[in-house]
Amino acid sequence: MKDAFEAGLSELLGRTVEISVPVLLAGGASKEAWAVDAGGERLLVRRAAVTVMHHHTLTLAQEYAVIEAAFEAGVKVPRPYGYIADLAGREAFVMERLEGDTIGRRIVQKEELATARGRLPVQLAEELAKIHAIPAERLPFLPEARLERMVEELDEVDEPHPAIELGLWWLRENRPPERPAVVNHGDYRIGNVVVDPEGLVGVLDWEFAHLDDPVRDMAFSLVRAWRFGVPEKRLGGIGDVEPFVERYNELTGLDVQPDELDYWELAGNVAWAIGTLTQAQRHLSGRDRSVELAILGRLSAEVEHEICHLLERANA
Amino acid sequence: MSERPTAQELTEAILEFLGGEILPTLTDPRLRFRMLVAMNALGIVYRELAELPVEDDSELRELARRIRADDVPPDALRRVQASVEARLRIASPQFLERYH
Repeated sequence: MKDAFEAGLSELLGRTVEISVPVLLAGGASKEAWAVDAGGERLLVRRAAVTVMHHHTLTLAQEYAVIEAAFEAGVKVPRPYGYIADLAGREAFVMERLEGDTIGRRIVQKEELATARGRLPVQLAEELAKIHAIPAERLPFLPEARLERMVEELDEVDEPHPAIELGLWWLRENRPPERPAVVNHGDYRIGNVVVDPEGLVGVLDWEFAHLDDPVRDMAFSLVRAWRFGVPEKRLGGIGDVEPFVERYNELTGLDVQPDELDYWELAGNVAWAIGTLTQAQRHLSGRDRSVELAILGRLSAEVEHEICHLLERANA
Repeated sequence: MSERPTAQELTEAILEFLGGEILPTLTDPRLRFRMLVAMNALGIVYRELAELPVEDDSELRELARRIRADDVPPDALRRVQASVEARLRIASPQFLERYH
């Protein structure tokens, strides 16, 4: 594997480089992440895994194009180095390996990150405003996401989940006035950002990028499952929503309202409830056998409980 | 309640994990032996669960179908909450206790 990496990275960087032994950080079911140092650069190589990708996500080449566009737009992302069509038999892309924490529980609870947590609401708003300003023409392959797609995904699972149905019904009935669609990150939350003691270092995991209402992207970081054990802090377990929304409105000139955030927070919970079921299906169908994926099917009940709670609040 | 993965499917996933990922890393012969015994025991549970009758989910299916068709029963939220709580008492009792 080292030889293949050395050849691929030398070609990419345009010079012969000596590399460290590549270390597999995460053997994600759809994508591998390799840490490798080459010619003095700290690199992260995302390489396709054996199995087919989840069909509602971007291809590796598309995800790379999104990271490039974000980088050009000044978003804090790892510096993109290039796409490799064949790295030891599979496609891959190469980016900078950022230093910091990505594990949600650590970001939410670690003592040394208290200062960072204070800054994150404003910093998250600033990066999101830049993401939403990426010209959509730059990424013509991005799909438009609609509520109907969530329904399709739920139908593919073919299990009765009336709590999710009730959430979808409420979302159909109470749709706020539509805002023009913008480039959405699609999975913008604690757990997908790199944080160091100074604050936000970079935004990762772009495979769910799509075109959508900007508030949908904002509200995904409010979903309770991403508060990592600190549910009273509505913004990802790290802080209050108000400074986040204020800064976002200031930068974009929009006037995002609390009831819109409530709406899209519920939508985020419905999407994640369906997400847990589709992840479990990857195991059950035999595509990616994994006890971690399997158990997600049972944890959908936690998300469904939150959906009921939000519906109760909305009807109160 | 028709929960997926079923108890049997979960048992199967654990067996695969133990046999495929943990067992090969065990070098202590005593631990290896005890792991094999534990996997045997889990195999018994797996086969015993296969004997259980499949639970009837027709009521949940009917409720889900009605909500999808915009024919939402007035007590839909209450019924849904009761069923979700019953599932949580099995899948994640701590989540339910700590929820506020």
